[in-house]
Amino acid sequence: MARSPVAPPEDPALRERFEREVLPLLPNLYGAALRMTRNPQDAEDLVQETYLRAYRGFGGFKEGTNLRAWVYRILTNTFINSYRKKQREPVTVPDEDMPDWYLYDKLGGANAEASAESEVLEKIPDEDVQRALEDLAEGFRMAVLLADVEGFSYKEIAEILDVPIGTVMSRLHRGRKALQKALWETVRERGLVKD
Amino acid sequence: MSKTDCEHVLQRIELYLDGELVESLRIEVERHLGGCDPCTGHAEFQQRLKDVLRSKCGCNEIPSELVERLRASIEPPHGHRA
Repeated sequence: MARSPVAPPEDPALRERFEREVLPLLPNLYGAALRMTRNPQDAEDLVQETYLRAYRGFGGFKEGTNLRAWVYRILTNTFINSYRKKQREPVTVPDEDMPDWYLYDKLGGANAEASAESEVLEKIPDEDVQRALEDLAEGFRMAVLLADVEGFSYKEIAEILDVPIGTVMSRLHRGRKALQKALWETVRERGLVKD
Repeated sequence: MSKTDCEHVLQRIELYLDGELVESLRIEVERHLGGCDPCTGHAEFQQRLKDVLRSKCGCNEIPSELVERLRASIEPPHGHRA
């Protein structure tokens, strides 16, 4: 495992603060790690490495700044440096020519009963939605994961991924469109709508 | 409601739902949505898509032994007082 140059906090008060503030982030971090690594064992290892790196670096973390974004940045960098190489190739690469409202239109959109198309979304099994996200090419997957699942702002995502805000916006837009296509395929395969 | 109005609003729906529109544009979009059922239908669908992703991709439970292992990994040795 890579070593951080920063020693772990010697101060017990600092350790307690770390536990108090970072332990509650673990459930979400684990979910995000699963979506990144697509594998429970790797997700556990990634969360563990992230937690220890954050602990070692915590002495240098400025109180009052965005702790959650700081921890997710460590998660993302650890993933990119240690786990990305092992990844199978994702299957979904956004298609430039896809219409913006692909899924809405496919599900009937304006012609459907009120909110019927939304109800179809709820019926898609959790694992299928997870797979659709996990199959997205990495840059798009990270943007959608951080925005829609983790609720970060564009500015925070730009900092976490170290890309300009414009790149975040375009990855989100294209990633969400690609996701709509993957979800439509699931909806059809599962027979959740009549053709 | 002109088609151009709807096009402008639909182009901004993602930013609007992500809470990233500046105040003046946000008000403009909200005013339009208040009087346009088709755009409201699109906006509600897009919001539902976000909600579904959040609820279905953020629901995995972290193994409790991992949490315990992590908690223990930064504890000082037993009986140690700094």
